[in-house]
Amino acid sequence: MTTTSLTFPRLFPRPKGYAGIWSWIGTVDHKRIGTLYGVTAFIWFLVGGIEALLMRIQLAKAENTFVDPETFNQLFTMHGTTMVFLVIMPLSAAFFNWLIPLQIGARDVAFPRLNAMSFWVFLAGSLIINASWITGNAPNGGWFGYAPYSGVTFNPGMGMTYWIVGLNILGVASIAAGLNFIVTILNMRAPGMSMFKMPVFTWMTLVTSILLVLAMPILAVAGIQLQTDRVYGTNFFNSLGGGDPVMWQHIFWLFGHPEVYILILPAMGIVSEVLPTFSRKPLFGYPFVVFAGVVIGFMGWFVWSHHMFTVGLGPAANSAFAISTMLIGVPTGIKIFNWIGTMWRGNIRLNTAMLFSISFVAMFTIGGLSGVMHAAPTADAQQQDTYFVVAHFHYVLVGGSLLGIFSGIYYWWPKFTGWYLNEKLGIANWALMFIGFNLQFAPLHWVGLDGMPRRIYTYAENMGWEGTNLAASIGGFILGFGVLVFMVNVLVSRMQRKVAPADPWDGRTLEWATSSPPPPHDFDEIPQVEYRDDFWFKKYPETIAEYYGHGDDDPAVPSGAQLDEAVDEESVPVISGGAYGAEATESEHGHGKIHLPDQSYYPFILSIGLAIFGIAFLTDGLVLFAGAPFFIWGLLGWSMEPVNDPEPETP
Amino acid sequence: MHRVSKPSISLRPTLLLLAPIALALLAACTPDNAQSTFGTAGPIAEDQANLFKFIFWIAVVVFVLVEGAIIYASIRYRQRSDSDKRPHQTHGNTRLEITWTIIPAIILIAVAVPTLSQIWGQQNGVPTDQGEVVGVEAIGHQWWFEFRYPDNEIITANELHIPVNRPVAFKLNSQDVIHSFWVPKIAGKVDMVPLNDNFIWMIGTEPGVFYGQCAEFCGIAHAHMRFRVIVDTEEDYQAWLKGMHTAPDAPTPGSPEASGQQLFAVNCSSCHTNNSTAPGSYAQEISTQQARWNGWLEDTENASIVSAPNLTHFGDRLTLGAGLKDLNHDSLVGWITEPSSVKIGTRMQQHAAVYDTPDGRAKLSASEISDIATYLLSLKPGTGAAAEPVDDGGAGTAIDAEAVFITNCATCHSTGADKVVGPGLAGIGERASGRVDGMSADEYIEQSIREPGEFIVPTYPAVMVSWSKLGDDTIDALVTYLKTLK
Repeated sequence: MTTTSLTFPRLFPRPKGYAGIWSWIGTVDHKRIGTLYGVTAFIWFLVGGIEALLMRIQLAKAENTFVDPETFNQLFTMHGTTMVFLVIMPLSAAFFNWLIPLQIGARDVAFPRLNAMSFWVFLAGSLIINASWITGNAPNGGWFGYAPYSGVTFNPGMGMTYWIVGLNILGVASIAAGLNFIVTILNMRAPGMSMFKMPVFTWMTLVTSILLVLAMPILAVAGIQLQTDRVYGTNFFNSLGGGDPVMWQHIFWLFGHPEVYILILPAMGIVSEVLPTFSRKPLFGYPFVVFAGVVIGFMGWFVWSHHMFTVGLGPAANSAFAISTMLIGVPTGIKIFNWIGTMWRGNIRLNTAMLFSISFVAMFTIGGLSGVMHAAPTADAQQQDTYFVVAHFHYVLVGGSLLGIFSGIYYWWPKFTGWYLNEKLGIANWALMFIGFNLQFAPLHWVGLDGMPRRIYTYAENMGWEGTNLAASIGGFILGFGVLVFMVNVLVSRMQRKVAPADPWDGRTLEWATSSPPPPHDFDEIPQVEYRDDFWFKKYPETIAEYYGHGDDDPAVPSGAQLDEAVDEESVPVISGGAYGAEATESEHGHGKIHLPDQSYYPFILSIGLAIFGIAFLTDGLVLFAGAPFFIWGLLGWSMEPVNDPEPETP
Repeated sequence: MHRVSKPSISLRPTLLLLAPIALALLAACTPDNAQSTFGTAGPIAEDQANLFKFIFWIAVVVFVLVEGAIIYASIRYRQRSDSDKRPHQTHGNTRLEITWTIIPAIILIAVAVPTLSQIWGQQNGVPTDQGEVVGVEAIGHQWWFEFRYPDNEIITANELHIPVNRPVAFKLNSQDVIHSFWVPKIAGKVDMVPLNDNFIWMIGTEPGVFYGQCAEFCGIAHAHMRFRVIVDTEEDYQAWLKGMHTAPDAPTPGSPEASGQQLFAVNCSSCHTNNSTAPGSYAQEISTQQARWNGWLEDTENASIVSAPNLTHFGDRLTLGAGLKDLNHDSLVGWITEPSSVKIGTRMQQHAAVYDTPDGRAKLSASEISDIATYLLSLKPGTGAAAEPVDDGGAGTAIDAEAVFITNCATCHSTGADKVVGPGLAGIGERASGRVDGMSADEYIEQSIREPGEFIVPTYPAVMVSWSKLGDDTIDALVTYLKTLK
């Protein structure tokens, strides 16, 4: 095989092998990157959780002085920022990374090195934001950074600068990851897997990725404008200079509402995998669930001003956004009903993963219903910026996203690791989180309607808010204890090491077709897909007629002709990373002959450069020159590096 | 097929699904709480609560059906023993899909109709057929509320008086960051956006005191940015309006009040106005407030002047520190001694010269602080007649120098011969011409306003600050006015 003529001089040898820290730094394996995302996000989850518990201690009683108001403001700013950007998004990304290639029968994502870069850039951004705690400048303007309070006149410290710089770096990671998964899902599906044979998790990942690519640049624009307001004296949002603080809100929420769906759609995808498996039935109304997800992703762009019903946009705007917000309840309802339809007449195994998924449906329903309550702008005038809203979105993001993610963790853990999580501890984990969560957030509906505003570090004794706040604080600690039990479970299960087979749950989708954990190349043979839930129907061909029997009803039923076309050998993507046409063949079993993209340090090096650029905005512009060599080195090295080094000639 | 054995668990935890609804139903049970959105005292809040309840009960029905179905399915269809049964692999049911698409859509239309009608009823201008409308401008400051009554030329802070059963139309604005104006029992909130007028109207239907609170995060003292709305009977309201133009009785010489008055003038009055009872002082207070704001903006760290609540008739107030504490002598002494220990973040301690001490506490003796508190608590409408509105005879924008004097100077200077903090100014026009060689009376008086430190009359403390901020035209008018004092 001929080698590429142009190579960039290497300072380090290209990493090889699958052991040692350098193999992780150089990895381009989607599974390892998924693990990196998961572990990092879980650490930030603990940080964000501790921030929440500190706030709950402060609010447990009236006139408490456990933390001072400035610290409290930093805590809620960092809790929101952390949980949204450093926990739920990257935990979702961990699932995308782990599962998308497995679910679509591919050997990696479309751009493995870009994928690695996404993680390292995410890590850099998350470290920069949290470094603010160490330098004593934690952001204090809220995760929503409303102008003009986020401006330099009212907020002269460095905190909001950390926030902006961190978010903009995270945005780079998210956009790159979004693009990567769009391309992966559209181009790298196993032969025969038409769009409507994709698992729903893959569908939701596709929708989420499109939202990421469209929404994150909006945040980047807002962030850069705010940054120039702060540093260079522009007046985009600075009301003192004639800027418009309301414009910040429009731009932020134009990003912020799609962001809500970025946070919830992956969990919806997880639940749409778990419920069918443990009900031993296919997902009820697959095309409707998929369309509902797509419609939610689309309509999510037309509801941003419901975050701004009290900003004074006037009756016309408020009416329009009230209607669009209520409309989005319809596709959400469709999903919920279909999940229940999936369980109906099933053979339901109530294990930990399933309990988390059922809880997701139950709790997300509550969040949806309270959402309709503040879709009415005049009713919302009483609820906006109170704990009622806090309760609402925690029912969506904890009761929804987080329970869904935990369901996914228990469901796919055997696939990720090759061993089971302990089921008894799992049930305890679920019960504590479920009870703690409800004890924490149900009373907050009440105290919100009782007039308690958000983001107040303390409240007076005579307001009647003490009992509910105490209950919420106790609930918070029970929830936290539940998370602790999860960590214990991981350790205990690791010691017990109950080995899981390839298909421990009698699964339905392709990831269960390969070993647990999967080999680096995922599949020895790229699967040929004929059906939705292809793996199940190949296992139980006698049930094919049950599902596909009423062909007229189902728009996605494949005809034989389509099948034949899809299995056309010429279009089979064998190996990711541009190695089509290499001598590797499907018939070769074992790792040796399957070409995977080689590992690379350059994404990591480029990310170091980007991180130093970020630090320059926080310290001195000259620091840019320290970052430039890394950035340019990473960029050039990466672009000139061949996907695979030439193999030594075999004699 | 590899299978793990089914864990056996009790289904009772699923009953906990009912806990949130039980708690939510209890929510309506605390209407007496000060900021409950249910025990309403005005039609706006009442309609909002009713709309909420309408949606809430629909939601309860949906909730019971959906959660019931989840629980039923979880129990009824759970795996029994180790049954390996494969249920019928159904793909769905189009008729059901259409049903559960259309039914929620119909429900949401049922919610949307009253919602839209309420939006247009509440947000499309104040009704003109429900009594004479009171106009109020509410301005958010970090971290207190200013209330202006342009029709009555009244400015007050943190306690809003409105007449019962009359619509009150508010123009909302903010001086600094975004705040939100919210009186839960009377009306839902509308944000106060800097340089961007917002609008809200409300009617209070029950006389009494109601709680308000800033709802938009606005900085370090956000939690302590509260206010009270006092819904007065029409009679009380008219008396209050009159009182706001009636000057307090002058303190008896030698009393703690008199001592407090002097101390207030020296230490507090460059930020706090406390005597805007006179006609014409309204416009002055507005420009003074702006000047104080500009003073802070020029140097947010070290400004010597910051915008501060108007303290006129402070003795009539119920609370201290923007709804933070009950107002009494003890709480006021505590506040004056060390305001930041009562309300963290307040700008008073950081900026006022009197707190420029190593420990940040006021450099005043305990008895001096007590005197200031006594004086402030004595500020109530006096026994004199209310000031009549000034008829400016169509002079339009002519500067009312007397009003300028009352607002800015009268705290320390009388127009007679008696000494307050500074000298009485009767006859100043004659005295001034001989004071400094080569200076005319006009030049001397102007210098005394702009650079008072240049020449201090013996026996008087050098405490006066420069008043150049009043502007050239105003100072010219003031000089002319002062020369007329006999």
